[in-house]
Amino acid sequence: MTTGVLSPTGRIRSWTRAVFPYVLAILVAFAVAGAFIGSMGFNVLRAYETILFTSFRTPYGFIQTLTKFVPLTLQALAFTVPLTAGKFNIGGEGQLIAGAIGASVVGILLAGLPGVLLLPLVLLGSVIAGALWAAIPGWLLYRFRISEVLTTVLMNFISFSLINYVATEMWPDPAAGHPTTVPIGKGGMLPNIIARPPLHMGFLLTILAVAFVYIYTTRSVGGYELVATGANPRAAHVYGIDVRKLSVLALVLGGALGGLSGGIEVAGVHHRLIEGLQSNYLALGILTGLIAKGNNLAVPFVAFFIAILEVGASALQRTMMIPGEMVIIVEALIVLFVLLSDVVKVGEGA
Amino acid sequence: MHVSQQIITLARLVILTLVPYVLAAQGTMLGGRAGVFSVAQEGIMLVSAVVGFLGAYYTGSLFYGALLAMLAGGLVGLAFAYFTTTLKMDQFVIGLALFFATAGLSTLIYKIAIGVTLKPPLIPTLQDIPIPLLERIPFLGDILFRQNVFVYFTIFLSVGLWYLLYRTGLGLEIRSVGENPLAADSLGVNVTLVRYATTIVGGMLMGLAGAYLPMAYTGTFTEDIVRGRGWLSIALTYFGGWAPHTIFLAALFFAGVEVFAFRAQVTGIGIPYQFLLMLPYIATILVMIPGFRWAREPAFLGKNYDREKRGIS
Repeated sequence: MTTGVLSPTGRIRSWTRAVFPYVLAILVAFAVAGAFIGSMGFNVLRAYETILFTSFRTPYGFIQTLTKFVPLTLQALAFTVPLTAGKFNIGGEGQLIAGAIGASVVGILLAGLPGVLLLPLVLLGSVIAGALWAAIPGWLLYRFRISEVLTTVLMNFISFSLINYVATEMWPDPAAGHPTTVPIGKGGMLPNIIARPPLHMGFLLTILAVAFVYIYTTRSVGGYELVATGANPRAAHVYGIDVRKLSVLALVLGGALGGLSGGIEVAGVHHRLIEGLQSNYLALGILTGLIAKGNNLAVPFVAFFIAILEVGASALQRTMMIPGEMVIIVEALIVLFVLLSDVVKVGEGA
Repeated sequence: MHVSQQIITLARLVILTLVPYVLAAQGTMLGGRAGVFSVAQEGIMLVSAVVGFLGAYYTGSLFYGALLAMLAGGLVGLAFAYFTTTLKMDQFVIGLALFFATAGLSTLIYKIAIGVTLKPPLIPTLQDIPIPLLERIPFLGDILFRQNVFVYFTIFLSVGLWYLLYRTGLGLEIRSVGENPLAADSLGVNVTLVRYATTIVGGMLMGLAGAYLPMAYTGTFTEDIVRGRGWLSIALTYFGGWAPHTIFLAALFFAGVEVFAFRAQVTGIGIPYQFLLMLPYIATILVMIPGFRWAREPAFLGKNYDREKRGIS
């Protein structure tokens, strides 16, 4: 499996040349979706307006967008950070669930601890659980050379049963009517940085994670080895980089980020473990990572855009009765057209 | 119940369960032997499960439903072939994008057609059609020849694909395209045509695998109907050594684990059912350890062939 399309290809020469294919891809994707929505007899312009502007019409819509931005960015990074080393992590969903379980176990068992202690422990629990969950495919890759693509996906399915077990057998909340645990300790809940409408601190943690990934991959030796491994594993090996070990490290780092996204869902959003809390964040995260062409720094910007579309999608469903899944088709089309723009450029010999 | 009767019941169940794995894995294998490697199985199976279900629901015929599901799978295969073979885009990335697109599409189609209902619409499930004479063979007759038509098709397909790939000139051409498209091309094999054809037919087989799920098991469509069988079929293709006959045999293991996990849930053996549900995935990860060693994948698996550049792109 080649990563030709996605490998970070040096510095972008000019912003316009980088942004133009995106604008075109978005326009074409919207045109296709518009034709589809129109053919179903809906008002196309109103649908566009709903998708694009719901996030900016009310403070609530905007905060909702920022809240969605958090798991999307972290899930996308869980995909793009291993990709930096040429590894495909399709297991962000399982890592999110493992992280959510880790956070809940800590948050429930140590519920009495004060916030200063409990909150960092809850988040640490999620990061470690996510990293361990990804370390299994990492180890299988290192020891037996089994493709990480399949093992990371299969770990997702294992996590679905695990979360069900924890939520129905270990600490079930009998009043919930859906597999749910009792709440974590008050101290483990993420405080809000904006009170009304509420925005939890996970937003800041996400920005920190983005900054960490950026600094690590561009300004540190370890990160440089990661990039070198992804760019040309053979050359990296010749220069004395342990390529196999770095592949594992890349997966574990991705798992830690995926785990953090689960921890934040528990500590910031639900305050308990709920089956299904992973939503469709894996799909959105990977689509985000693909639109960003694997560029870690581009991820938060793309994720913000996808968050706008997603908030628009739920409004679309509420006000116009157009199924929200419509939007994931738009996003997949954007991916195809963004990737297609590379083909066109190569074809022109640029 | 008599012990031999129990064994027959279990074996029947294994054969019944094997069908979607084999169909999807043979589809993966067929495209793969020509060098086109799709990872969209899970999505194709989802979208064709919904198309097959709705087709059968509206036409009142499982046959037309299955046909429509094959058409849907073939269309996704065509799109995949176009993006990879014609446009030379990364096979894995396109496969992922198509997986998410088709998975989203499946829910979308169901919502548009049916919407949210208290009682989901139902289709009749497949009937067993005993084969005259053969059904009278002791043991084997019960296990193999009193099954539904998908089972017969799956056996027939596996034998047919083996014959095609290893006993015909066309099969040699298909394999040569996956092993060395440059050499195949210079000998006059139409690489593009072979890749399109195998990818489209492969997509149709995955489509049939998807349609089987509502038609044989549930009679209705739910979002979690495929439950990773598409991804498992990729592992099965490796475990089955990228060859039709060994894939069929290897599928016995996959189906066996699923049947065991299911039976253990029903009878209850003291293990929480959640851990039994994990079993197929854990078992698959475990068999991939030897599976990845002995499977020799086609040399050009996942690589596009660019005639202009006389090599991969």
